[in-house]
Amino acid sequence: MAAASTAAPARRSRLARFEERTALYLLLPTFVILALIAFYPFGRVLMSSFTNARFASSAETEFVGLANYKALLSMTIKELPVVVDDAGQPVLRDGQVQHESWVQVLPRTPQRYRAVFEFGLLGKRYVLGAVTAPFVRSIWDTTVFTVIAVTLETILGMIIALVLVSNFPGRGGMRAAMLVPWAVITAVSARIWEWMLQPTRAGLFNTIGSHLGINDGRTDFFGNAALQLPSMITMDVWKTTPFMALLLLAGLSTIPSELYEAAEVDGASRIRQFFSITLPLLKPTLAVALIFRTLDSLRVFDIFQVVLGNRRYSMASYAQDVLLSQRNMGLSSAASVVIFVLVSVFAVLYIRMLGSRTTS
Amino acid sequence: MTRRRSRVVGRVLFWLLVLAIFVYLMFPFYWALVSALKTQAELIQTPATLWPNNPVLTNFRSVLSNDRFIRALLNSTIVAGAVTLLSLVVGSFAGYALGKMRFRGKEPSLYVILAMTMFPQIAVLAGLYAVIRVLGMPAIPSMILSYLLFTLPFTVWVLTSFFRELPDSLLQAAQVDGATLFQSFRLVLLPLAAPAMVTTGLLAFIQAWNEYLFALTFTIIDEASRTVPVAIALFTGEIARQEPFGEIMAAAVIVTIPLVLLVLIFQQRIVAGLTAGAVKG
Repeated sequence: MAAASTAAPARRSRLARFEERTALYLLLPTFVILALIAFYPFGRVLMSSFTNARFASSAETEFVGLANYKALLSMTIKELPVVVDDAGQPVLRDGQVQHESWVQVLPRTPQRYRAVFEFGLLGKRYVLGAVTAPFVRSIWDTTVFTVIAVTLETILGMIIALVLVSNFPGRGGMRAAMLVPWAVITAVSARIWEWMLQPTRAGLFNTIGSHLGINDGRTDFFGNAALQLPSMITMDVWKTTPFMALLLLAGLSTIPSELYEAAEVDGASRIRQFFSITLPLLKPTLAVALIFRTLDSLRVFDIFQVVLGNRRYSMASYAQDVLLSQRNMGLSSAASVVIFVLVSVFAVLYIRMLGSRTTS
Repeated sequence: MTRRRSRVVGRVLFWLLVLAIFVYLMFPFYWALVSALKTQAELIQTPATLWPNNPVLTNFRSVLSNDRFIRALLNSTIVAGAVTLLSLVVGSFAGYALGKMRFRGKEPSLYVILAMTMFPQIAVLAGLYAVIRVLGMPAIPSMILSYLLFTLPFTVWVLTSFFRELPDSLLQAAQVDGATLFQSFRLVLLPLAAPAMVTTGLLAFIQAWNEYLFALTFTIIDEASRTVPVAIALFTGEIARQEPFGEIMAAAVIVTIPLVLLVLIFQQRIVAGLTAGAVKG
């Protein structure tokens, strides 16, 4: 023992150095690959966002400074004046005050602004205008999509998880059924939904809708602007609720059943039990699941691209379309960087929560 | 008496809820399958019939004799298989180092890996295309390489937490027996890690099988290299020229069945892998 302890420090440090070197060799392939497909390409995207680069072209590119970002993010809010007649009285149509069109109001020089959307506030009507209206609209749409879809997924996922946590015959089969929507190729599920939501009664929803007398069987779910986002949300909720339910189910099964037994003895109702036991203990799981899903849905691409193409964009489908259809690599890169920044905010939150739990 | 009645009512409501959930999860598949079995005439008939009057396999036959679709199945299998293999090999090296070794820079490496699991693909799209052009890579190898962007960090992350939980005593015993670090990795850790490898491998495979953004962009002019999601999204049929939904649904059913089987067989493992990062503290 005595002999060993004198030799130990020198040997350990040699071993430690060896271990350190081995570890770096083992990590090297991962970081070389990541450098090649993530760090360097992202650097390229960052650089080309300050240029007028064209996609897949060898033409000379010029540095344009912040012009791409300015084009993407220039926004303005203008009030839409009420239409008045010669006497200065507001013109009424069907008892409604009429407003001027945004074309009259939004600036045209040095760059032309187009309407993103109009909204009413305190009895006045405003228009949000932007130089690159499709991109600003895609930010808005993706945000609305994310908030509504993630909320619905959480509520539905919670209901499904609460049902599946109880023991009943066929529970295993139900759990397996839940993995199915998750495993289906997103682009393929988009086509299935596209077929179910056909604008004629050849589609499932229009057939059922007209049977029940809800609509006339000709609802154009993808053509009607008001129904585009709800349709996308329906598709996304179907696809991702099972994932949410699985995460919550795993969280639920870690709650000791003694807590519920004690609550039962105390005469607490089921609803009371849910709010005093289940929800507080599920909070960490819920937080992680929420951030994870939010990150995912801010990056949504497949369902928008497959079903709506260039009729309506998500942030990612806009950046991809500008790259491929317009071949404007500079503008697309700038849009990608904007998306990256928006997503990063949530990513940092997520890393804080997961990282602090696993590295400590 | 009323108590028993309310319990019966509760049971009935519970089973109705279970049934509703099941129908909700499954009806798109039902509709895809039923539509795939319909004749062209019945397919465009209004109102739609809820089941085929006389089921035919025409759509399945025409999809299975469609060279582009078969080619896409093959491409997808090659790409997803290669991506899975590469992520597992490279990922297990990194996972071993991060999970079981002591070295400077470990914490930052872990954070970089975790951050990479969330990296938005769109943020590298244009730059990645430039890298591929410079390297002169054809579409299939470029997809294999670029899919590592999302499969590799995830694999490393899950395997790291798996290796970390293995007892150190196993490795020490191997070292006492004179095993080198590589030997103890190959002979002791790897066999133990097999279940975790199956799980992460499955998840990597499914992610790669699903990928659409890179595949669409890289194969836009290279039709022969298209994978299943792109082929189905851009499907033009053999029978009907205008949106051949019967064939599309048949194709959807065909590509979904292997995944459903995979999911049913490895159900427990997949759930464990999905919840590994999020729930375990």
